[in-house]
Amino acid sequence: MTRSVIEVLDVEKNYRTFRGKTVSALQGVSLHVERGTIFGLIGQNGAGKTTLIKILLGLATPTAGAARVWGRPPKDPSARRRFGYLPEQMRLPDYFRAENFLRYMGRLNSVDRTLMKRRIPMLLERVGLTDFRKPVKAYSKGMQQRLGLAQALVNDPEVLFLDEPTDGLDPLGRKDVRDLLVQLRAEGKTIFLNSHLLSEVELVCDRIVILNNGTVACAATPQEFTRGTGEYLIRVAAVDDAVRAATARVVAEDAAEWEQTTLRFTPRDRSHLNALLDRLRGAPVEIESVEPVKLSLEEFFLQVVSGREP
Amino acid sequence: MFATYLNSLHESMSRRVALVLFGVAILIAITFNAVVHVRTLPDGATMILVGAQPPAPPAIAVPSMLESILRATGSLWVLLAIFAAAPLLTATLEKGWLELTFSKGTSRWKIFLGRFLAGLTLYSLMFVIATLPVALRLWWKTGIGTWQMGIALLIQTFGFAALLAVAALVTLPQKGVALPVIAAAAIWLLTPSLAIRQETFYRIFSSHVMRGIIDWTYRILPKCSELEDMCVSFIQGRTITSWWPVWSTGVFTLLVLGTTLWLLGRKSF
Repeated sequence: MTRSVIEVLDVEKNYRTFRGKTVSALQGVSLHVERGTIFGLIGQNGAGKTTLIKILLGLATPTAGAARVWGRPPKDPSARRRFGYLPEQMRLPDYFRAENFLRYMGRLNSVDRTLMKRRIPMLLERVGLTDFRKPVKAYSKGMQQRLGLAQALVNDPEVLFLDEPTDGLDPLGRKDVRDLLVQLRAEGKTIFLNSHLLSEVELVCDRIVILNNGTVACAATPQEFTRGTGEYLIRVAAVDDAVRAATARVVAEDAAEWEQTTLRFTPRDRSHLNALLDRLRGAPVEIESVEPVKLSLEEFFLQVVSGREP
Repeated sequence: MFATYLNSLHESMSRRVALVLFGVAILIAITFNAVVHVRTLPDGATMILVGAQPPAPPAIAVPSMLESILRATGSLWVLLAIFAAAPLLTATLEKGWLELTFSKGTSRWKIFLGRFLAGLTLYSLMFVIATLPVALRLWWKTGIGTWQMGIALLIQTFGFAALLAVAALVTLPQKGVALPVIAAAAIWLLTPSLAIRQETFYRIFSSHVMRGIIDWTYRILPKCSELEDMCVSFIQGRTITSWWPVWSTGVFTLLVLGTTLWLLGRKSF
């Protein structure tokens, strides 16, 4: 059995404007998502993230290429019964209450009525929606988002598509959602996450794709994205002439830079770094910390979208 | 589809326009009951009095009364019910809601058809509320069967289905409820003139080409006014000579609705 739950092969999506101009939203996008992982899709506004999710949900048809979930086209309703989806902009009609809204969403996924009766209270508790008896029109944005998450889980889906799931939630709510995503992954569910909050994506995702102008600009694990730059920050207790002289004996002037008591240094290799540390100890000066410089996902992302090589 | 159908009925009950229409239907039922009086004369004969009109025997008065009810409610309801039913269709395609429903494991056509059927049910319910009390009362008091109103209801709903299908088709390429309502109302207003086109359009257009276009327009479009006339004939006990309005309207409805559902299935959102 294949481990890839989601497969996107050379997908292109073009839209035609009213003036007859063709706008390309996706160009030759290929990616795959493995079972039981959290996959993060990031990109600027208009990069094509929502278009790709819509194609994966059968809401839009690709102009070229193919998308498959569990080996089946998403247009097939029986395939979609195994999906859960939280859209970025969700409209909840005023007349609903949480329970009948979830019941309706469950019925659209052919969930058995008796099963739903048991599942709905559990789901509301799981997403932390305690005051659920009032009509949805009286819900805050955060409550609506929690209800949206509950509806995405109502059919106990195997694949979950979440478009900005922490939108409108306070920091505690965001942590709740992160914890929920980790729990769901532990239960074997595959999660396709689209978020602008890069710190969150970095925290929970197993694999990340950066979409830029409708193409896959980069695909890697968070560790690969945030790998070391080769630079080190060495913090010492104090800097005097002896310390500067000790540094100058090992390091060329252009390879090191003092910022108060911190030395920014790019060694040739590990022995070069150790040689500098030995010299500093012999100066003598107390070394407080040695820290490799790493790119954050945000820095990496900004470099990718601005066209600079990370 | 049934889940969507029930949900759409629930939704329509929460809309103010539907509640107002139900209120009007109840008011009409009360008014008709108030103006109709059934009197038993000293010789044992039953007479029916409608307002200030002279008393008439039930065999004449009951069909005549049913025709009045049908004319008043049938025409009015078609127009009013479009206002209540069209929003059910446009709401299906509202951003933020269509993503929720169309991403679920039910085909789009089933969701849309469920809402279409809920719109028809809404119309039938209003018709029943407005006409059933007086029809039942006449039957109970006079013993003359008023079951023909049931058949009339089915025929009228059939005509309404054609108009709602037009509203459904117009819903697809645009947002908002105004255009679907206008399209359905325009056809409803056009059909009586097309049915008597020799007295209306032929007087304006003398060219063969234009008259040919008008004839084909008549043939293609639903025959709402003729369906209403059929209902009246049926209630009056007259023989229905031609089923052409029924089957041509049926073909129109099926084609328009089928096209709508096919386009909806192919549409990229």
